[in-house]
Amino acid sequence: MTNPLALIAEITHRCPLHCVYCSNPLELAAVRDELSTSEWIDIFQQGSKLGILHAHFTGGEPLARPDLTELIAGARAAGLYTNLITSGIGLAEPRLKQVVDAGLDHIQISFQDSREDAANWIAGAKSHAYKIELSRLIRRHKIAFTVNLVVHRQNIDHLDEMISFIEQLAPERMEIAHTQYYGWALKNRSALLPTRAQLDKAVEVVAAAEKRLAGRIRIDSVVPDYYARFPKACMGGWGRRLMLINPAGKVLPCHAAEVIPGLTFENVRDCSLEYIWQESSSFQRFRGEEWMPEPCRSCDQRSQDFGGCRCQALLLTGNAAATDPACSLAPAHHIVEAAVADANSDPAISESVSAASFVQLQQLTQSLWSYRKNRNKFEPGSTAKTGTQ
Amino acid sequence: MPVPDDSSRPRLAAGCRWAAENEVAGGKKGTEETRIILFPEGAIKLQGTGRQVLERCNGSRTFGEIIAELQSQFKDSNPSKIRGDIGIFLEQLQKKRIVDY
Repeated sequence: MTNPLALIAEITHRCPLHCVYCSNPLELAAVRDELSTSEWIDIFQQGSKLGILHAHFTGGEPLARPDLTELIAGARAAGLYTNLITSGIGLAEPRLKQVVDAGLDHIQISFQDSREDAANWIAGAKSHAYKIELSRLIRRHKIAFTVNLVVHRQNIDHLDEMISFIEQLAPERMEIAHTQYYGWALKNRSALLPTRAQLDKAVEVVAAAEKRLAGRIRIDSVVPDYYARFPKACMGGWGRRLMLINPAGKVLPCHAAEVIPGLTFENVRDCSLEYIWQESSSFQRFRGEEWMPEPCRSCDQRSQDFGGCRCQALLLTGNAAATDPACSLAPAHHIVEAAVADANSDPAISESVSAASFVQLQQLTQSLWSYRKNRNKFEPGSTAKTGTQ
Repeated sequence: MPVPDDSSRPRLAAGCRWAAENEVAGGKKGTEETRIILFPEGAIKLQGTGRQVLERCNGSRTFGEIIAELQSQFKDSNPSKIRGDIGIFLEQLQKKRIVDY
């Protein structure tokens, strides 16, 4: 058994945005159950001893925790590399300087689009201008900056424009992430899955940008698994690299794992991180190759993709132990093929949509989209603790 | 971007840093032979010459000075091969945005 390398700290499920492709669980953890500052710091120390190198602060919106600065300082003091994944809403000076001074190594902001109207519409909030301003502030500090761009059917046609937009924000890294079909994104899949022609064009655009930006901005981009020959190595393999801790202390092999029936997840309030990594039935359930069905079990790719994503297998086939249907060799691959065929034939939405017609599109597709309900109210960090806002 | 020239001063890029040695008792953060550089979404374990090169990339030494130091340290190796290998090594890390020069 390897040791875990990264800890995903979902420190709250509170969020000011309502992204239509949010892949967080539909049932969110309540604020009153959130782990305390000292509980998190203890987790970071335990994680570091286990061999974890990176702590990723995410949510929800991590800025909603008034003690974020203390949490970052605690992770850094434990010897971890700290990454803040944020919408940026509610982050300005002096709070940014405080988190940097506390030891923040890397900040990651996702943009929904290069065009303000489209971006705000996807996010369900007026967040775009805020993020641009924040990007300028970030470049005054000596931390790594990644811009994450979520790509889907509605914006992929102007990917080149979006890449140029991000270039102006001058990050070290750009992640071009296709929507992953879980949670709300699965419900909205027919409006999000690009066509084959869109995808082919996007691959060319990314290759040209990589060449042009080499040495300035590193581009990390992945083909959406619905169009790939082999499935993604989800989480780098179940129970191989990552531990995710949800706001209430539940420890998961990935953030969607709770959809899998029959698994129980330990809580850091009851057991040590080491025990959970080594002994818990949930981390062992799909670790290694014992659980694998054919064709995975005898496949040359099994040590590369680990059979793909368990949650996707469950969501699409009803069986979490099936080969990921995204794999071209999977017995249930026809399910993904059918979605791809739909995406390439549906006349109602297969025409490419320009930003100019976005308002029209919004009306057209209102029945198609599920807006993410925001059960928890967003409360920006309190002034008493952080001296911000 | 080409390989560094003699006057450039290679350094770790923003947000890339050495993991402190033996930062945590019992942790696996490197040994005497191995050190780790942490960067966004990843880490590299360094030992031997790779480690010796990057430990010199502190933003004050020039590329020319780094090359000269390693050429004098490894007298048995071909000096132009040392220069070529280190240039390519740093160029690759620069493309990953781990090193700046």
